[in-house]
Amino acid sequence: MKEFTKGLLKENPTFVLLLGMCPTLAVTTSVANGIGMGLSATVVLILSNLVVSLVRKFVPNKIRIASYIVIIAGFVTMIDLFLQAYVPALSKSLGLFIPLIVVNCIILARAEAFASKNSPIPSMLDGAGMGLGFTFALALIGSIREILGAGTWFGISLFGAGFQPATILILPPGAFLILGLLIGCVKLLQKKGEKAKQ
Amino acid sequence: MIELLLLALTTILVDNFVLVKFLGCCPFLGVSKKVETAVGMSLAVTFVMTVASMATYLVQYYILVPLGIEYMQTVAFILVIAVLVQFVEMVLQKFTPALYNALGIYLPLITTNCAVLGVALLNIQNQFNFIYSTVYGFAAGLSFMLAIVLFAGVRERLETSDIPEWLQGFPIALITAGLIAMAFLGFSGMKF
Amino acid sequence: MSLDLKNNEKIWVLALVLFVITAVVALLLGLTNQLTADKIAERQELELTEARQAVMPDADAFTKVEGSFDETVSEVYAATKGGETVGYCVSVNPNGFGGPIGMVVGVSLDNTVEGVTITSLSETPGLGSKAQDEAFYGQYVGKQADSPLAVIKSGSPADNEIVAISGATITSAAVTNGVNTAVETAKSLK
Repeated sequence: MKEFTKGLLKENPTFVLLLGMCPTLAVTTSVANGIGMGLSATVVLILSNLVVSLVRKFVPNKIRIASYIVIIAGFVTMIDLFLQAYVPALSKSLGLFIPLIVVNCIILARAEAFASKNSPIPSMLDGAGMGLGFTFALALIGSIREILGAGTWFGISLFGAGFQPATILILPPGAFLILGLLIGCVKLLQKKGEKAKQ
Repeated sequence: MIELLLLALTTILVDNFVLVKFLGCCPFLGVSKKVETAVGMSLAVTFVMTVASMATYLVQYYILVPLGIEYMQTVAFILVIAVLVQFVEMVLQKFTPALYNALGIYLPLITTNCAVLGVALLNIQNQFNFIYSTVYGFAAGLSFMLAIVLFAGVRERLETSDIPEWLQGFPIALITAGLIAMAFLGFSGMKF
Repeated sequence: MSLDLKNNEKIWVLALVLFVITAVVALLLGLTNQLTADKIAERQELELTEARQAVMPDADAFTKVEGSFDETVSEVYAATKGGETVGYCVSVNPNGFGGPIGMVVGVSLDNTVEGVTITSLSETPGLGSKAQDEAFYGQYVGKQADSPLAVIKSGSPADNEIVAISGATITSAAVTNGVNTAVETAKSLK
């Protein structure tokens, strides 16, 4: 169970491990995009962790990374094709960043650091936890940017017509600013937590 | 010729790979503490991106399309890039040890730099021909260089600034990146 | 890494293992592709048909028209009702602020704009992206465009004028250009 929960908060891939920055910054212009990206990555993470863990004893050390990348790329392409066929709207708005899940460092990092050393079930749990932690982070950033930057949440207008949204937040600079402030807040909370323990 | 120059300028300033398209953010944030390392990294990236653009173009139109297996694109491209990076590493090590010593440590990181796979996929998506792909790859590398070198210059100064404790390190770096991105926003809409 | 590493790292073993992995992945992808290819093609076709239907609500069938048009025009379909041509659906991609804007415009035989649908755009979120709101593109519906439509920044528009999205004049002008090109294209076909 520990394998599952650690990814959610304590080792949150985005806020604590600082992995997978490209999709985090690029697709969080709305909360729906963030969740779509997060869940796609979660599915890839669970499947690739499972397969990497299954083949870990047969793959020679030297071609380990190459094999992992091929496995991950395979799953990513499958997700890509499925999204194109069944969720075309999401596929359109995430665009290039779906094939780019291949080079999302979270996935390769988990394959290398966890799945290649552990048995299948814990590996899948690790993947699920990390993936959901990533999804949570993306949903949070997406919510903040969408609410403040566009005045909507899941596309529903929140403040009525009089509200002047801070458009800059859904433009590229907003991504950097919000993520920077959020990571700062996480640091602040960690400090508080440590002090409380003492 | 003029068109190629305009494509390059647009890619570097208006559609900057890092600051507008968010491609290659990991090394942008990770390897930008010193201007020196930033220059080394971006030289290696520019080189690999240019060669990768050429190689993936050939793979796409002479292997994948004739065989009708375009859906293998992502898998094939990432393998080509991985092999290419390895190959560049070996060649550099053999023929120009000095350059290898300078760039060597960055090379393995480039395989998972999403700007490289990104430029390869964008070339195909934009239906660029061989020359355009090559120029686009090179310009994308330069746009990465411009962003990361500017950013590293600011970050070096941050080391000695008085910053609230909770913002120190990564958070302030991101906020700085945000401000640089805001400056680049000034180029948007410029159509050369 | 429980197997004997020395034995395991001979070059042909490495090549074989990597080959097997790639082959399995390729096989699985081939299967996935088989399963999804038809569905994807069907979706794309359906999307375009829906877009055409939306801009020409009266028509019941569409047939592709071949010919040479303005370079921003990608496709032209003749809309028919009960076998008679009632207008044209023009797919046009004018250049906006952040790149080409994909749109489908329905034009009836008397040069009235029947409908406009934006299919893709990469304009500034919050400003130019408002071109996708009906409040903006709805303005074109019912306009008689014998002479080209023009954009005004504020005030009440005359018959052939469109009020721009505030803060996004370039986008508004681009969409208007697209509509004008579509009308010209339809005129040239009559």
